[in-house]
Amino acid sequence: MAKKRKWWSGLLVLSLVGVLFTGCSTNNTAGSSTSAPAATTAPAESTAPDATEAPSADVPVDGGTLVTSSFSDIVNINPLLVNDTASGDVAQFVFAKLYNLDREGNVQAEDWSLAAALPEISEDGLTYTVKLKDTAKWSDGQPVVADDVIYTVEMAKNKETGSPLISAFDKVKSVEKVDDHTVKITMSQVYAPFLYALVQEIVPAHVLKDVKPTEMQKNPYGTDPAKTVTSGPWKWTAWKQGESHTLDADPNYWGTVKPHIAQVIYKIYADQNTEVQAIMKGDTDHISAIPVTQVEAVKADGKIDIIQKPGAQYEYVNFNFDGKNFPDGYGLFQGQKTRQAIAHALNRQGMVDNILKGVGALMNAPFLPDTWADPGDAAVNYDYNAETAKKLLAEDGWVADAKDGILVKDGHRFSFELQYNAGNSRREQVAAVIQQNLKDVGIEVKPKAIDFAAWIDQNVTPGKYQALLLAWSLNTPDPDAESIFSSKYFPPAGQNSGWYKNEKLDKLWVDGYSTVDQAKRKEIYKEVGKEISTDLPYVFLYQYGQAIGTGPRVHWAEEDAPEPSLGYGQFFHAIKWWVTE
Amino acid sequence: MTEYLIRRVLQSVLVIFLITILTFLLIHAAPGGPTQVMLAPGLTPEIFEQQAKNLGLDQPIHIQYFHWIGDLLQGDLGYTFKNHIAISDLLWPRIGNTVILMGAAWLVSLLIAIPWGIYNSTKVYGLSDQTASFISYLGFAMPTFWFGILLQQWLSLKLDWFPLSDMHTRGKEGSIADLFMHLVLPVTVLALGFLASYMKYARASMLEVLDQDYIRTARAKGVKERKVVFRHALRNALIPIITILGLDLPILVGGAALTENVFNWPGMGRWFVEMATAREYSALMAVTIVTAVMVVIGNLLADILYVVVDPRVKLGKQGGKAA
Repeated sequence: MAKKRKWWSGLLVLSLVGVLFTGCSTNNTAGSSTSAPAATTAPAESTAPDATEAPSADVPVDGGTLVTSSFSDIVNINPLLVNDTASGDVAQFVFAKLYNLDREGNVQAEDWSLAAALPEISEDGLTYTVKLKDTAKWSDGQPVVADDVIYTVEMAKNKETGSPLISAFDKVKSVEKVDDHTVKITMSQVYAPFLYALVQEIVPAHVLKDVKPTEMQKNPYGTDPAKTVTSGPWKWTAWKQGESHTLDADPNYWGTVKPHIAQVIYKIYADQNTEVQAIMKGDTDHISAIPVTQVEAVKADGKIDIIQKPGAQYEYVNFNFDGKNFPDGYGLFQGQKTRQAIAHALNRQGMVDNILKGVGALMNAPFLPDTWADPGDAAVNYDYNAETAKKLLAEDGWVADAKDGILVKDGHRFSFELQYNAGNSRREQVAAVIQQNLKDVGIEVKPKAIDFAAWIDQNVTPGKYQALLLAWSLNTPDPDAESIFSSKYFPPAGQNSGWYKNEKLDKLWVDGYSTVDQAKRKEIYKEVGKEISTDLPYVFLYQYGQAIGTGPRVHWAEEDAPEPSLGYGQFFHAIKWWVTE
Repeated sequence: MTEYLIRRVLQSVLVIFLITILTFLLIHAAPGGPTQVMLAPGLTPEIFEQQAKNLGLDQPIHIQYFHWIGDLLQGDLGYTFKNHIAISDLLWPRIGNTVILMGAAWLVSLLIAIPWGIYNSTKVYGLSDQTASFISYLGFAMPTFWFGILLQQWLSLKLDWFPLSDMHTRGKEGSIADLFMHLVLPVTVLALGFLASYMKYARASMLEVLDQDYIRTARAKGVKERKVVFRHALRNALIPIITILGLDLPILVGGAALTENVFNWPGMGRWFVEMATAREYSALMAVTIVTAVMVVIGNLLADILYVVVDPRVKLGKQGGKAA
């Protein structure tokens, strides 16, 4: 769901080095042999991992402490307010969701989900009936009941709460209790992505029912471990601000599958580099993002296994269609052929090979490769070809200036500012490549890095820029991206910050979410892919991801390995992991 | 003296008050606010507005300031916007951690720098002086984060002599020995930086004094060199050093963000950078206040120490004449 997307950049701005990933993947799969260097370079106390670890690595053991880490602290783990990665990470361990995703991104009622079965969706697609397990309990011993779901949905859709969940729940018309463990949610319109909105933690009504929506943020629920009643396998026991969180297995956890790991420590490091040092020293067992510049060094160390796979995020260049952002009000990107020429001029494969070190996938539409909505060949692929680019630019009326070779049309020079956030080294490199690539076809690019908070406030949200380099992180596998591309969502009312208007697409997005028939939706998104890749509001660059690193103490069965392609997939099935001392 | 102190304190209060107004304005003038950082821009602006309203950020800036100063006068430093945690709960532990780190580094460097600098002033361009010069250049030239990483790679990851980072080993939070081990590497990095400047000051200050007429007279009178240095020269040489130390006092609470980052030390420097990125106004104001107070105290202490070190220095009363 487009509205549930969030800007990965917000996290990245905190990092010293861009998060990329390279090479092939390995993991800590039980029974899989440890990589060769480990056997030769591991220090004495952990030598011959094959011989010493094999028995315990194959058979889950209960107990022990998993130390995982991050480079930013939580803000608030109240599920109504979670909107940053660190808070989401901790919430993963301590809250049960109504539904969970399987490795392929399908919604499932798992053993650890609060719901007993998949929701019943009425034939008209307007009502969802959710049945809860009657065994589920909060950490204070109270049962998880229909009232909790009703309270959560109502608070999420209440504007006064200011919840980031509002975009997922604002199409809910009513939510009613059928019985203590059954809830009927009625939609005001058919909205297919809603199924993914149900992959959601809920909050305890009995704890929060008297809190006014406007006071929710100031309530200690979500920031004080003692006052945060949870429903997951681990309890939030302690928070040392800026240092660590302690999560202890809840002895009264209701699920049929119990966690093996007795304690999870979520450590906060100052930055990614410090975190990488720590995993090499063994101070942490699991990190979610190894900077691309250090992946080889970590591999060479031999003790750390690395899982590398493109994640649920993609990077793009966004054109601005509002003439007000250009001198004399002359929009440089109005011509479709001009935009196509830029797509041809950019060496996207070169970026993947040299900057992402080979791991990443080219994209031509806003749908992740190999997902059900991926339009495949239906989307136009722009190969790297400066000659084609020049030809298209000439066809669109651009002529090289005799003095400096920069293209000119109707007296306007083809020179624009490309904005991105400061402190993201990957983006700096990509911006430099874009500058060079476009210079080759006669376009002048002036890259400009800006502090993230200032940038969002002054440029991105109000749509005041000429072009920007940014990424989207997709929180759900649903392909709906209306809020990014539809003209319904021009600033200040939404996130179509490039003021892009395409009536055909405006309609297609609505068609896309207005049916729950998967086959029909697939056809619609294929058409979207075709149209959007032809018209190019963005040049879609590539899907990228992060390298997950795990130390030798952490183990899982193959089917429970971390899954980088899912949001929070670095902790996929953590309930089944185990650690050895 | 008492009158002088009271006057100075009153002046300082006024200065701090003006600083708060200026800082408050500057911080709020920076583009972006707590809600922009807190919320993904993928959401509608109404949510930003609602969040700002819920947090009281929609009020005019002077009202926000009066709220803030009113709370401050009651000893309340306010709350973080993002998660409504009392600033005092966050600030004081970090100041404590930073004082431990910076204090240790300061002390180590002073204990080495002052005697060594004094010694070198008596043996200019000798081997010791040359060595000190080399160390000073190293201290000035080497970026602390780089030196820190170097020490980590070598003494922690490779030789496993010291812990890599953090302040404590998990489970050994109360252990002084454990804290000491965690201090060694960051203190080494920081002390090298302090050492370089203090040693230069001590040496230069002593050299200047040793060049004075009265020292020459003393020497001519046949006073022993030892007595010349310690009795006659040292007291005067210490005055400029004390000034520097007084002015450096805020460093003790301000922390060194880069070193704290490299060693994952939960101190003020690192926290301040985090809070600035997050546009946590109350936290930034709290740091400003604490730092401003420390600057004032540092200056006052320097002035008082002048009198202690050199009784000839009199703190002027109002209407007093400068000699």
